[in-house]
Amino acid sequence: MGNLIKKYEHVVVTDNFDLAGKASSSIKRVLKNLGIPPMLVRKVAIISYEAEINIIIHSHGGKMILEIYDDRIRIKAQDKGPGIENIDLALSEGFSTADQKARELGFGAGMGLPNIRKNSDNFNIESTSEGTKIEIDIIMD
Amino acid sequence: MDRAFFLDKDKCKGCTNCMRKCPTEAIRVVNNKAIINIEKCIHCGECIRVCPYNAYEPSTDKLEDIDKDKISIVIPSVTVYGQFGHGTETCKIHRALLSIGFDYVYDESWGAELVSKAINKKLKEKDIPKPLINSNCPAVIRLIKVKYPSLLDHLVEIQSPMEIAAKLAIRKVKEIFKKSSKPIEVFYISPCPAKAISVRKPIGMNGSSIDKVISFKEIYGDLVRAIKMQDDMCFSTPSLEGLQWCISGGQAKAVNADNSISVSGIENVMNILDEIELGKLEHVDFVELMSCNGSCVGGSFNFENPFVAKNNINYIIKNTDHSMVLNDDLEKFEEFEELGYFEDELDLKDSIEKKIDLKAAVKRMEEIEKIYGILPRLDCGSCGSPTCRALAEDIVDGINELDSCVILKLRNRS
Repeated sequence: MGNLIKKYEHVVVTDNFDLAGKASSSIKRVLKNLGIPPMLVRKVAIISYEAEINIIIHSHGGKMILEIYDDRIRIKAQDKGPGIENIDLALSEGFSTADQKARELGFGAGMGLPNIRKNSDNFNIESTSEGTKIEIDIIMD
Repeated sequence: MDRAFFLDKDKCKGCTNCMRKCPTEAIRVVNNKAIINIEKCIHCGECIRVCPYNAYEPSTDKLEDIDKDKISIVIPSVTVYGQFGHGTETCKIHRALLSIGFDYVYDESWGAELVSKAINKKLKEKDIPKPLINSNCPAVIRLIKVKYPSLLDHLVEIQSPMEIAAKLAIRKVKEIFKKSSKPIEVFYISPCPAKAISVRKPIGMNGSSIDKVISFKEIYGDLVRAIKMQDDMCFSTPSLEGLQWCISGGQAKAVNADNSISVSGIENVMNILDEIELGKLEHVDFVELMSCNGSCVGGSFNFENPFVAKNNINYIIKNTDHSMVLNDDLEKFEEFEELGYFEDELDLKDSIEKKIDLKAAVKRMEEIEKIYGILPRLDCGSCGSPTCRALAEDIVDGINELDSCVILKLRNRS
């Protein structure tokens, strides 16, 4: 595990689709500006976008954290509940609990968590009724 | 020559219009003159369009550059047919081209029809990245190279219609002028600087089959006068399928993609590339991205308004008898495919791997953010950098100074 060089935090608000994607856009811009290899930036962008949308649709709000280490990019997505009932089910492709409002906006295809896991090098998820915490690493060689 | 247009410094007043419009922030204004960073320039032509002083001028070839000791082939871009009013038969345009000095005309639309087939075949392959992105707009290719390098592998690796048309034209001419020992040269009449630069300085491919490029505006007058002199006897028409390629949505239609998105205009293109980068369009087969509004009819070297040009093109498509399209090359798709005509290895990956000093990069960004924090975020461009963020970067990189910000100066005075 390398040294932490820089940390950014973004607040994510429930059902605010005007701001949807702002946190992940900002994360993407920071990494692009730092000169992180494009393929890694893209992975982080996909992961953070999916995680951000998950918080907006499914939680009571939370935050996205970007941590830059000298050997990895870490994304933490933390929300204030209500938690994921069945994590294994949520990790299977095509499963979705998104409501009508979110679906009309094109969200909730049920690819969120599987897509996040697919694109990450390390993937950790913890969920209770108090909230869900996801931690993802993208390793830089 | 690395450029398809240049800035006339005497005409430039340093107004900053081009700088603020440039999609890759390639322009800065220093001492009241615009300066273009060639590394970042994608040749989209936005600066040419927006300049109120017409200070940007094409540096393409001219009619006088036709070498009389060579057999000269001309390939008019499909957009050329949209530049004249209804009733101007395309064969008259072909004849007019012959009368102003070219020896042989080959139509880009015929190349486009064959390329459509090749892309259609590609779309049916398994394990292709989704969505596939068209590779016939050189400005979009350059944009992806400069700003979205992680999407380079989405570009369809098939030659553009102008290149295929050039190859087929050379083949034809060698057949027809069998007895001649004269060398051949190929001209392209271009609707935009991007296609011109893709000939002079191709990226991704080994070289272009085209030798010289003339901007459409450069020969518009000669063509209009020559068209008036032609009689009504007609002998050839463009491919109607290929003709659609110059209208937004036409390419997606011609390649017969099941599930496609067509986007034109550089800002719209960047927005959709952002979506693709987020992995949101993996369910889409084909994305047609064209840098100019309305697609190639909107090219900055064209004369006619893009919407009028589109109307003209549609008129031709509607009023042309399909059986009049006489070109035996159109039947030879399999033969050309076997010859490997369509393959195009886009070798653009060089821009991807770069070693970075992360600590230094973070330090630089912290400095940028600190300066950005005190800037007005008005993005007025008066300082000579395109946005307040760009000014912050330029200050840290030592090419501009905080003192250039007029707003801060005004605030400090009061």
